[in-house]
Amino acid sequence: MSGAASLNGAGRRTSVGPVARARTLPADGVFYPLVMLTAVAFVVEIFFVFLRAPVEVRMGIVQKIFYFHVPSAYAMYLGATACFAGSAAYLVRPTDARDALARAGAEAAVAFGAIVLTTGPLWGAKAWGTFWTWDPRLTTALLSVLIYVAYVVLRAFAGDGSAERKFSAALGVLGAANLPIIHFSVQKWGGQHPTVITGKGGGLQHPDMKLALALGFLAFTMLAVLLVWARTRVELARSRLRRAEEDAIDLGLDTRTEA
Amino acid sequence: MKEGSEIPSPVPQTTGDRATSFQAVQGGQEHYSGETLLVSAYAVLWALVLAWVAFIWRKQGEMNARLLDLQRVLDKAAAEKVAAKDVSP
Repeated sequence: MSGAASLNGAGRRTSVGPVARARTLPADGVFYPLVMLTAVAFVVEIFFVFLRAPVEVRMGIVQKIFYFHVPSAYAMYLGATACFAGSAAYLVRPTDARDALARAGAEAAVAFGAIVLTTGPLWGAKAWGTFWTWDPRLTTALLSVLIYVAYVVLRAFAGDGSAERKFSAALGVLGAANLPIIHFSVQKWGGQHPTVITGKGGGLQHPDMKLALALGFLAFTMLAVLLVWARTRVELARSRLRRAEEDAIDLGLDTRTEA
Repeated sequence: MKEGSEIPSPVPQTTGDRATSFQAVQGGQEHYSGETLLVSAYAVLWALVLAWVAFIWRKQGEMNARLLDLQRVLDKAAAEKVAAKDVSP
């Protein structure tokens, strides 16, 4: 920015320069190869799910929803864990990067949670004859997604001040308390939800079924990492831009009253 | 199907067995096509992921607009400073 450079050259210290030179997240050299790998993983996953994995004997083709329903749930956990880690770290020492990670994680939890809560009932329509029951796992999963929806809505409408960030961080930490409850609800409270991969059921009976699920986990893990990373980077850049705008106002360069 | 069942076989045995009426199932559960449900689930998955990508794209667009505003402000301030230096002896 030529304006910022000439002002700094005139001897007035502004934070525009230091903010622009601030440390950034890992380079594009890692991000773009990860995009390629994720795309390849999804192509292979689609091949295995639709062309290699056999049709389940009782449920038929609708069972194939399982191969992206379960990895989506796992990706939701990853997003929620990122939100928890960012929030907890922010409460210890507040930084823009930690806040950005928490926010990106919460949005990932909502996005992947919405996938779980949509694909599950579509499977249930065939397997159970109903789209929804108040099964313990379904109910706790819905509750968890609603907690992260609350986080996202809070961040969208309550401003971006220090107090709002701290309150959101507390919500991000407390929201994670429900995650183990979702996981163990099937074992503790029963219900209708299948327990195919929790060791209580018969498991996946065909090697191609296992491979399709494993590829699903791999593809969704990479997709979640990519999206959280991209969202964190945008949020971090937005925070830096806001500080630069505030500096411009403080220096009397911008006539607005707030950024 | 049990012998003596009230529901007739859907496959006609003779030409005289052809259906002459359709009867609704009474009290049975609604059936859904597995193929339709699977395609719906897969479509929803990608629609939601792409919606989030579009949301990130929109955020970047907003940031770009703010960045341009900031640059305009800084350019104006720099121009004013140069003009003031030219006027002063």
